[in-house]
Amino acid sequence: MFRTMRIYRRSLGAHFRSLLEYEADFWVLIVAGAMFNALNLLFLSAVFAHVPALNGWSYAEAVLLMGVWSVIGGLSPLFFEGVWRLSWMVNQGTLDYPLVRPAPVTVQVFSSGIGLHGVGDIVTGGAMLGWALFHVDVDWTPLTVVIGLVLLASAATIHLSIIAITNAATFWISGPHPFLAIAVHTFEDMIKYPLTIYGAGIRAVYTFVVPFAFVTFFPVSWLLDRSAGWVGLLGPLVAAYCVWLARTVFRRGLRRYDSSGH
Amino acid sequence: MGLVKAQSLTKVFRRPQKGPGLRGSVKHLFQRRFKDVPAVNGIDVSIEAGEAVAYVGPNGAGKSTTIKLLCGILVPTSGSVEVAGVTPHVDRIANARNIGVLFGQRSQLWWDLPVRESLGLLRDMYDLPKGFYQQRIERLDEVLGIGELMPVLARKLSLGQRMRADLAAALLHQPRIVYLDEPTIGLDIAVKDKVRKFLRELRADGTTLMLTTHDLGDIEDVCERIIIIDEGRKIFDGPLAQMKDSFARTRRMHLHITDGTPMDVIAKHLSTADVSGEGSEVTIAFDRFAHTAGQIIAAVLQVAEVGEFHLDEPAIEDVVRKVYAGELLV
Ligand SMILES: Nc1ncnc2c1ncn2[C@@H]1O[C@H](COP(=O)(O)OP(=O)(O)OP(=O)(O)O)[C@@H](O)[C@H]1O
Ligand SMILES: [Mg+2]
Repeated sequence: MFRTMRIYRRSLGAHFRSLLEYEADFWVLIVAGAMFNALNLLFLSAVFAHVPALNGWSYAEAVLLMGVWSVIGGLSPLFFEGVWRLSWMVNQGTLDYPLVRPAPVTVQVFSSGIGLHGVGDIVTGGAMLGWALFHVDVDWTPLTVVIGLVLLASAATIHLSIIAITNAATFWISGPHPFLAIAVHTFEDMIKYPLTIYGAGIRAVYTFVVPFAFVTFFPVSWLLDRSAGWVGLLGPLVAAYCVWLARTVFRRGLRRYDSSGH
Repeated sequence: MGLVKAQSLTKVFRRPQKGPGLRGSVKHLFQRRFKDVPAVNGIDVSIEAGEAVAYVGPNGAGKSTTIKLLCGILVPTSGSVEVAGVTPHVDRIANARNIGVLFGQRSQLWWDLPVRESLGLLRDMYDLPKGFYQQRIERLDEVLGIGELMPVLARKLSLGQRMRADLAAALLHQPRIVYLDEPTIGLDIAVKDKVRKFLRELRADGTTLMLTTHDLGDIEDVCERIIIIDEGRKIFDGPLAQMKDSFARTRRMHLHITDGTPMDVIAKHLSTADVSGEGSEVTIAFDRFAHTAGQIIAAVLQVAEVGEFHLDEPAIEDVVRKVYAGELLV
């Protein structure tokens, strides 16, 4: 485990250094990430300029949700950007070498790139989160903090697993681009708002099929002590299930990998 | 007891059957039809520790596919593989520590990173102690001259430089078993020589080696055993010397006749050899186990005056070419 973490860190570090060679890109990407979040916030503020609450969610509560989403959304480009290269690697047969090295293929693939816009997401998301936590009404106890952090980690795990699983679909539906993963990722945008503003069908899908609801809505609901907030406590279980599923999908998928003709 | 063992190894690829153009593609979406392509078809191999084996065959014969099966990249359709007591595609990580792999057409170096960083990442993956790593780098620098390549980005290396760096990457952890798929492809003579010299040293260190190549010069002084495959099947497996003895028996003597003796006179005189040529240039092909070169030249001198002559030794190249062309049934 420590070994795997070390390989992960070194690999990311090496790619980070290589990114620094393109200094202009470095800042453009970070600023782009931040801008995107600022626009989201602007839109949310515009909505709240007309309504005092969104389905019972106050402005600060909605910002909290959006902040959680941005921070978690920023982690994956920063630490797992390589997962988006899987389709290309499978298509081109460049998974050959990772398969003959003594480290998990997933670790080698996930750490094969860095999306710096994640920094922008995390910084702006962190700011939203900080501001919102200050303005929402929560009874803070040490236990709340611990559970909160566990739920946040679970949420990040679930988010990442979904990206990994949808990208791994490439082992079955071959092709150089991860269309399924891109589509699912696009829909994930919806979870930056309270899930209750959507219809029952979407809520059901996001709870039981693609459990995006456990990334933002349920854990935040738990923290704010809303009705059905207890569902948020299932986060770690859902996360464990997602990780198991991702591992299984990768293991099966790698058995189907057939390299390329030359 | 082979170190590398494969039994009835088979790999069948499924290739989509598509009609031409957009119409064919759309039709394929609804009516998925596949054709089975057997790339490797029931191959048995057993390689002892310390052996150096040349694995040759025409394009598309299934060489690369066999190597990918042996190192666990592909899962066999049927049959079994065992390398140093491990089933490669099941226990990948354990297998990875025993083997070194190079695919000549493809680099394992990280595209955007300097060679030094790539080797550093491999060092972490193989858990190489610092002292060992330093010593390996020095050794690899001696034979492959990678020292000068260390600070260069992989994408800026020339083909020959890349191949040297890639060889270093594949052998950094000093693997017991090494598979090289076309390690000299596209290299100039000087780099080729360097690589061959390196292979001989590997061999002398007791490394078990399996080598595919289209340049038979690579194998003559490195390998003592040759396996020839065609269309996924093994058609020859034995010592290189034996193959030469059984199939490369013909030597050719080229003569320049100075007294205008016609060719058919010489041909008549040498009934057990094959005489051909044009004008004063005559070529005599003879079985090297039936005659010595001295006997042949003595016989020619009885009927003609000879100016210059030289002798062509049989080359494995000729044998392999004949085998590919289906002229030789082994
Ligand atoms: N990933 C793949 N998918 C489908 N067919 C493949 C794949 N890889 C190889 N093949 C087919 O399998 C056969 C054997 O290919 P392979 O690459 O093993 O040949 P080779 O002996 O290495 O040839 P070469 O000398 O040209 O490198 C070929 O007909 C090839 O088209
Ligand atoms: Mg090949």
